[in-house]
Amino acid sequence: MKKILTLLSLVLMMGCYQDDDLVTLYPDQEVPQSLQIKELIGIKLESTIVTDRVAMNVKLPLDGKYRIKIRHGMNNELISQEMITAGEGDNLLKVYVASLEKSGYVIQLTDEFHNILGNQSFVVN
Amino acid sequence: MKKILLLLVSVLFTLSSFGQSSISYSPVNTVTKVGDTLIMKFQYYKVDGEALTLGQFDFEYNNKLLSYISHQSMAPTGASFARNNWTGYKFNPKANSDEDDMDVQYTWWKDEAGNASYSTSANWSVERVTVQTSAAYTDGAEFVKYSFKLKDKFNSGYDNYNDIIKVNWANYQEADGTGIQTEKNPSTQSLSGIEGGNAGAFTINLKTANSTKTDYSYTIKNSSGQSVATGTFDESGQASVSGLENNVTYTAEANLAEDASYLDEVVTVSDLALVFAEAIGAGSGPSGGSTTFDYFIQDVMGDVVGDNDGVDFQDSYEILAYLQGVTSGNTNLITQDGQTEDYSGIESTYGAVANNTVTFAKSFTPIDSDASSKTIDLAHGLRGDVNFSHSWEPSVSSGEKATSAQTSSFRISSAAGTKYTQTETANIDLISEINDEGRVVFSINSEIEDMVGSQFNIVYDPNILSLENVIFDTGNEMTNFSNVIEAGYVRVGSFDQNVSSTVKVGTPYQLIFVPVEDISNASGLISFRVKEGVKADGTQINFIIQ
Repeated sequence: MKKILTLLSLVLMMGCYQDDDLVTLYPDQEVPQSLQIKELIGIKLESTIVTDRVAMNVKLPLDGKYRIKIRHGMNNELISQEMITAGEGDNLLKVYVASLEKSGYVIQLTDEFHNILGNQSFVVN
Repeated sequence: MKKILLLLVSVLFTLSSFGQSSISYSPVNTVTKVGDTLIMKFQYYKVDGEALTLGQFDFEYNNKLLSYISHQSMAPTGASFARNNWTGYKFNPKANSDEDDMDVQYTWWKDEAGNASYSTSANWSVERVTVQTSAAYTDGAEFVKYSFKLKDKFNSGYDNYNDIIKVNWANYQEADGTGIQTEKNPSTQSLSGIEGGNAGAFTINLKTANSTKTDYSYTIKNSSGQSVATGTFDESGQASVSGLENNVTYTAEANLAEDASYLDEVVTVSDLALVFAEAIGAGSGPSGGSTTFDYFIQDVMGDVVGDNDGVDFQDSYEILAYLQGVTSGNTNLITQDGQTEDYSGIESTYGAVANNTVTFAKSFTPIDSDASSKTIDLAHGLRGDVNFSHSWEPSVSSGEKATSAQTSSFRISSAAGTKYTQTETANIDLISEINDEGRVVFSINSEIEDMVGSQFNIVYDPNILSLENVIFDTGNEMTNFSNVIEAGYVRVGSFDQNVSSTVKVGTPYQLIFVPVEDISNASGLISFRVKEGVKADGTQINFIIQ
């Protein structure tokens, strides 16, 4: 009975899967404690002080397109922006800071239409 | 029962009040007179709060009364420490909130205020300290010590040393990222009993549009041309000079360091448009005539070929060649990386015209009985920077060109009496995305219809991305340019030399990068510095990216 239920669950899961171009990043990777986000939606860096690159978790409410913005930590000016296509839940990504000036920044997750879903401050050292 | 409940509420209230951690700041030493070094310590008090592994706070100080000397990390061994600073900003606390409630003010800055959390204010500088550690921070441990030089309040605009340092917000976190409630102590820091300044001290105030004042130096010479004092300006653009004699005439000049990191951002397509318009206007100069310039000094600054013949097409093509990365054969004087051509003079007469010549008077004479003679304002400008993006805009009336003389086609479309160097803002979208082929595509999307020129200085990580191609879709009439200034730094843009055709709307520019290592996303790999356009009427457009 257990085996039948497992098989049924697998069939159901496969039936629900959409073969689109969503980037599911490190699908089998567990979210390390330092990147876990308690809320349903958000953005979190592994470290606040960054020198070259840093791991980042982007937790999303739905599959789709989102923007990751880096803003100046004083005047809020947009410094860098990326559009990602990612899946619901945790997405482990990276932020590369080697070419950014040493300064304070805020990294921001928004939906495609600029509605803010999360912020975190960080420093390039 | 009522009493028991009241007691319970009181106990809970007391517990929550005393459960907050705090950021404490206080002087380490006693200062009594101008010139003394004030040492401030910033420390953590846990009270009965949670274990702190991230401590970040932001404070501002009055840069007219204090000058930054140094800082010393007090973070424990193994902890990470970072210090950032910005001059010319002041924090705006959240309205109708407790200014001492540091986590509320932090949330306001990070999540709520957007660009409303800080205002520009020349008298204030902001410092940000971040300490991150794996072990919990000890109760009472210090984060950092700062040393400041106490400045004379004379001519500062302040009557006392009240409220000269103030912590704005604090971001205290536990290891799992949970925020810790925090308050500050005291609300502000004041100093009292400070004795007046050194009567022999002389003050120079640097006047420039450039916000990075510490990159400038001054030289004071005697009547024989010998240097008697040199030094650099502090973050507020002020320098205090000692040893000058009363009733002796000196000259002062200012110079910008040739290794400043932003020199490639001084002369842009907006300057090019102004110089082209001036060249089209034909034959302008100190003697008058048709011109698009607002000031005679622009004729000198725009003469980048250095033939002392005002601005002509040779100068405009020289700037265009510079933006295109083409070597023209001329030895140009354009301000650029490794090269500055400075102008400086006493601000009240900077750029004045006398005998058909633009002047930069530099002399001054301290007089013991005249306190105002112990301070000068020294204005500074750079060759090629005709839109004054990094230069002082003159205030002397004899340096202004008459509106009636401004008759070129550029000027006609502006309202009478309006400065030609006006600016406006417009929205634009700059974004990177990894495409199906694994390339990183950086797109500049614009719906602005009336730009005759545009420029973007784009920075990328050359260790991860290799620039493969730049795709232009700007229309058929534009002169496009893209040149790699240095590894990881590319300048892209367009300009119509007839000042009539405009950059096509849509996606006029796309930069295609090939990753040289496996990447899943591109956050932070591409950033933008200069991003501006210019309209046919000469108005500079500063792009806003949402």
